[in-house]
Amino acid sequence: MIQIQNLHKSFGSLEVLKGIDLSLEKGKVLVIIGPSGSGKTTLLRCLNLLETPNEGTLRLGNTTVEFGNRRKASKQQTLDLRQSTGMVFQSYNLFPHKTALENVMEAQIVVQKRSKEEARKRSIELLAKVGLSGKEDVYPHQLSGGQQQRVGIARALATDPQVMLFDEPTSALDPELVGEVLKVMKQLAAEGMTMVVVTHEMKFAAEAADTVVLMDDGKILEQGPPQQVLQNPSSERASQFLNLLTEKEV
Amino acid sequence: MDDRKIQIVIDSFLPMVKAALQYTITLAVISFVLGLILAVLVALVRVWKIPVLNQIAIFYVWVIRGTPLLVQLFIIFFGLPSIGIELDPFPAAIIAFTLNMGAYNSEIVRAAIQSIANGQWEAAYSLGMTRGQALRRIILPQATRVSVPPLSNSFISLVKDTSLAYTITVVELFQVAKQITATTYEPLLLYSEAAVIYLIICTVLNALQNVMEKRLSRFSTQ
Ligand SMILES: Nc1ncnc2c1ncn2[C@@H]1O[C@H](COP(=O)(O)OP(=O)(O)OP(=O)(O)O)[C@@H](O)[C@H]1O
Ligand SMILES: [Mg+2]
Repeated sequence: MIQIQNLHKSFGSLEVLKGIDLSLEKGKVLVIIGPSGSGKTTLLRCLNLLETPNEGTLRLGNTTVEFGNRRKASKQQTLDLRQSTGMVFQSYNLFPHKTALENVMEAQIVVQKRSKEEARKRSIELLAKVGLSGKEDVYPHQLSGGQQQRVGIARALATDPQVMLFDEPTSALDPELVGEVLKVMKQLAAEGMTMVVVTHEMKFAAEAADTVVLMDDGKILEQGPPQQVLQNPSSERASQFLNLLTEKEV
Repeated sequence: MDDRKIQIVIDSFLPMVKAALQYTITLAVISFVLGLILAVLVALVRVWKIPVLNQIAIFYVWVIRGTPLLVQLFIIFFGLPSIGIELDPFPAAIIAFTLNMGAYNSEIVRAAIQSIANGQWEAAYSLGMTRGQALRRIILPQATRVSVPPLSNSFISLVKDTSLAYTITVVELFQVAKQITATTYEPLLLYSEAAVIYLIICTVLNALQNVMEKRLSRFSTQ
């Protein structure tokens, strides 16, 4: 479903991704962890071209794009890639001038050209799926953080993406609201959604991930099934980082 | 006040209101609408830094904001004929006020667009929207709300500034007051009457602004 080869990304002279190779099969869940500034967000944003990689190859679904030597994604490829992915942001980024229902309907109408009735029907279903039946006509600022993030998930699901991208979806939430969002994400994973999740929720990683990737300084330090990466990392640097995380949780 | 003065005030009221409706308000509304279209275009050119156009836009805003409106009005009405462009007073005034509004309001619109968090663009893009779709559906509706108060102020200033059009012989409200003064020798009375009519117009506009702001505050921008 996703294949990345030798992906590089720099901001000016700062090289943030230093050659990433990664692949993910359909229906699998990939969790990315790593210290702050290691390039997790940047990697995720390269997948839907919110950032343009400087070099490398990105294949997602039926779209393959090569970067470097003035090669980049065409407009159509960019739109295709973005339609086949859904992104959930750390700060939700809901549209504040639209109700929960309208947030979920928007792309269906504008991008997918569905009829209003069709979009409405699908949006009501999606809000129900994330446990927000009855909140259709409420504006984002009237919702709790956890509720807003669940609208964010419904909105991202509305265009029927092949892959869902999550960038620390729970890190802006009060601890008591984290569970409701993780629950929805676990349910999605169980239904066979292909997911790439940047998170520091180790319990989620252990339970839901098929693969865990540990990034450090723009490179992949460890990669493998969660038991292996989280419990028996091969490098000293990785165990240090994991110790820090578990200390914080206690 | 003696009877004669009262009679002058009464007799001049209708002609002044008529001039206000026919020229003052018309001039202000047309220039504001055209100026706003221009302002949005200029703002987008600047936000997106479109090559060449961006430099032209910066130059345009710099010139208009750095010179008096009265001078701009004179250049267009009295100056352009010497290069073969002769305009009637009313269209000349429309052009001058439109250019003026376009420059000032482009700064308001640009600031409003830039005040919308980048995450809004990114959310729209991540859903597969094009830049135009993101702008129309997500950014401009929010920017509109932010820019209603400053744009209203700008419109109210424009209504008052239209009085400058008397200098190029447009028969707007102030011109009428001036003409009646010339025959009655009651400047205090007639200019005060004109002031009151401007005041009434601006008070109504203020009230409209409040209604609009209320309607737009259904949602809150973070
Ligand atoms: N638009 C940008 N311009 C310049 N530098 C950037 C930009 N985006 C990210 N960076 C830099 O790239 C590096 C990696 O950032 P990134 O956000 O990918 O890290 P991260 O692993 O997601 O960190 P965190 O855990 O703090 O979210 C950081 O040093 C950051 O300052
Ligand atoms: Mg990040």
